[in-house]
Amino acid sequence: MLASLKLGVVDMTEYPVRRNPKAIFAVVAIVTILIVASYGIISFWKPRFVVYTYSSFMDWGDEGADVVLERAFAPFEERYGIDIDFVVLESDANFIVSRLNAEAANPIADVVIGIDNILVLQEAARNVLEPYESPNLALINDSFVNSLDAENYLTPFDFGLVTLIYSLNTINTTTHPQLDNLTLADLTTTELASALVTEDPHLSSPGLAFLLSQIAIYEKILGEDWTEWWDAVEGNIDIEEGWNEAWSAWTSDPTKHLLVSYGTDPAYSANYLGSEPDTSIAPFYYQNQHWAWMQVEGVGLVKNGPNPDLGKAFIDYCLNATVQNEIPLNQWMFPVRTDLTLPSVFNYAIHPSEVSILNTLLNSTEISENLQSWLNQFDTVMTPG
Amino acid sequence: MRRHEYWTYIVLVFPIILLSIFLIFPVGAVIIYGLFSGTGSSFMETISAYYTQFTIAFTLVQASISTILALLIGLPGALLLARLRFRGKSLIRALIIVPFVLPPIVVVVGFIQMFGSFGIIDSILMLITKSTTSILNLADGVVGIVLAHTFYNAPLVMLLVSASMERLNPEIEESAEILGADSVSRFRRITLPHILPSLSASAILTFLFCFMSFPIVLAFGNGVYRTLEVQIWNAFRWSDYGEASSLVLIQILITISLAVSYIKLGRVTENQSGPTSTIRTTTLGKYKLWEKIAITAYIIVTLFLIGGPIISIIRAAFFDPIRQVYTLDGFSYLVRIGSNGGFQPLINSLFYGGLATILSIIIGIPLAYAHRSKTRGLPSLSSTMILLPLGISSITVAYGLMTVIAVPTGLNINPWPIIVIAQTIIGLPFTARSIEIGLKSIDPNILDQADSLGATRIQRLLFVEVPLLVPSILVGAVFAFAMAIGEMSATLFIALPQNYTLAVAIYDNLGVRHFVEAGACSLILVALCVVAFLAMEKISEGSTGGTL
Repeated sequence: MLASLKLGVVDMTEYPVRRNPKAIFAVVAIVTILIVASYGIISFWKPRFVVYTYSSFMDWGDEGADVVLERAFAPFEERYGIDIDFVVLESDANFIVSRLNAEAANPIADVVIGIDNILVLQEAARNVLEPYESPNLALINDSFVNSLDAENYLTPFDFGLVTLIYSLNTINTTTHPQLDNLTLADLTTTELASALVTEDPHLSSPGLAFLLSQIAIYEKILGEDWTEWWDAVEGNIDIEEGWNEAWSAWTSDPTKHLLVSYGTDPAYSANYLGSEPDTSIAPFYYQNQHWAWMQVEGVGLVKNGPNPDLGKAFIDYCLNATVQNEIPLNQWMFPVRTDLTLPSVFNYAIHPSEVSILNTLLNSTEISENLQSWLNQFDTVMTPG
Repeated sequence: MRRHEYWTYIVLVFPIILLSIFLIFPVGAVIIYGLFSGTGSSFMETISAYYTQFTIAFTLVQASISTILALLIGLPGALLLARLRFRGKSLIRALIIVPFVLPPIVVVVGFIQMFGSFGIIDSILMLITKSTTSILNLADGVVGIVLAHTFYNAPLVMLLVSASMERLNPEIEESAEILGADSVSRFRRITLPHILPSLSASAILTFLFCFMSFPIVLAFGNGVYRTLEVQIWNAFRWSDYGEASSLVLIQILITISLAVSYIKLGRVTENQSGPTSTIRTTTLGKYKLWEKIAITAYIIVTLFLIGGPIISIIRAAFFDPIRQVYTLDGFSYLVRIGSNGGFQPLINSLFYGGLATILSIIIGIPLAYAHRSKTRGLPSLSSTMILLPLGISSITVAYGLMTVIAVPTGLNINPWPIIVIAQTIIGLPFTARSIEIGLKSIDPNILDQADSLGATRIQRLLFVEVPLLVPSILVGAVFAFAMAIGEMSATLFIALPQNYTLAVAIYDNLGVRHFVEAGACSLILVALCVVAFLAMEKISEGSTGGTL
């Protein structure tokens, strides 16, 4: 080998130098090993207390999620001498459940925040949760526990009303008087159906809440086949992937007036503009009253998680005023601690006392038994042809 | 059996064993669990549902239409690219591949900015007609899906076909000319038969890519138009493992038949036309006036379709559509260290992508040798292994790796090695194929000479074969790197936030409407790809097209 190298050097005038690839390989190998080793050491897992949550959790305020979570949970960390690792998975609660299922044999998360009152009815969600009855449940109204999960797989964290909102810049009750007492039938006109943006019920929790609202109204109030409404709006209604995409479509396209969103949006708008909101709410109107869907989000203990006791303490802590007071302006939902004072902009939001709750029309057994077939029927109706 | 032969077999079989552990086993486990554990819908329930049948039909139809369009747009470009002589040709050639290696999520951004409501074209139309409402939205529904797929794959057709055309022997054309054939019959009788294999190969690949399409269909399909891949994603999210597995099974059956026909096609075309001959080239000035007009029109259309979305990405990196101002916020995000910064995703992208590239070369070399092996069955086995990653949904791979590799070994608490494995699998088809083509063109006489001069097997490999293979290794490496850094869905599934890559960061930023940050990340990805391809073009002297 050496001889051949020497030969190469001597005869350089006639032949190109033949470099020994072994040297190059060795250098590449050493550099790679060094880089991999240092990356491995830097990123090496230190035992932590892990909370899984979805993107945008507590991230809608002025300060951003990092600051808010630090402020809300620092006392807990201090008390137990730990660092909470909020693992913000870049997706929604469905995806988190799917991930928890994949990890079920060896979970790394202790607690999960963000599973709501529809998703918890799924077997897949219950499979990865451990029921826990927090003593702090005494601090909140029983109705939240019952509407979320009477078996305590989840502890209520916050709630909101899913309803239709519209932008006052493009439409109002003078141009469209039906907005005051809106019915689903009003939305079947080509004009309003093509102005309505909603979210895919497979991929988004407000989208699913809207589907269930519509089913509740048709099946329970009107006694009609719910799929007919979707038949009527098919081709006109804009179904976006998730809430962010839907919001984007609604704000950027002036022909999209209506959006399936939350009853706190006027409060958000008032806070953002510092004046009267430019967003208003159009809850459905039947039987001389307004209706909306209540979404309750919960915090749950992961089954077989590494630190079950800390997990329970964390769930108790979530119902403390320190945490609950951060919810209105950062999550734009209502805290489940109804004894706390809400910020004044929440006067623009629609409150649960002002509407009838559509969830009461569909009991949880009915939802858990039919959800898959409803979604399949929805797919069948919305599939062209 | 002689000792070194024994070792040869071990080396050749090594990548196949690795792929069995990290690809076939996880995917097989997911499918079997889904089909037989009874969670979710059964196979019969799944395929008898109307929407599943529609999804299958739609997946096939959109892939067919997209393929035809990509061929129609790509073929003239390929002919021009091979035939025309002009300055900056190698730059153009490097740029043409850019769309193909862009992460789908970046393509979605570029497309909406260019063709969507209030996008560049729509704004121009609104200005002309003085309308205040959106007139044209091409970045939506079936039209959006098909256009985006055409944008993606027309460059592929251009590269593959032009590479094969450049090897057209000029003597044949000259003889035809002397014998009085006009340009139409020359094209029909000589050019077309010559490029037909590469044309069909690119058609099959385009079909395969469109068939597997995910983020584009997710973004433009409005939840109504779905590919199998999108429905698989839905099924996984709803923990309907039965439906997911049934769909994966159908998907694999279809992709394997495509892969087999692709391999068969490859067999037929082997040993055609020496790589030494080069096509007769010409300059634009030599064409007739109407031809010049047609060529110019074609170039303008192509620039709009292919260049437009890329230009839009550059604009998106600086222009904040919410505040309506130009800003450098996107780039300050990229250098920001910490949980909200883009620096860590950037480092992760480079690290995972680099490591995956090295691994896919190390595995790709023996895989390519196995393909050339004379042992019965080994070549077909390795060809299938090479194409398999292109035909299995990356979400299924990710879910499989997660459940059967990461969780039992405890790697899910720090899953970066799993991400590297997933990205290696995705890049492997490109390195293996490129190296295999390089091997094909090594003159066997040189190897015989090395043998007769007494070189050992290792010496022959290190001093003769590897140096001759360097260009094709580099070509494959650049493709593998581009695929790895653009990969989003598998990474998103496996990663914890500290493992997010630039592609995931783009998705992340789009979700919270941080458009300039998403734009800046996209631009970095585009820049990385362009630089890598320019470097590669210099070294390999324009043999890019043969890779696929």
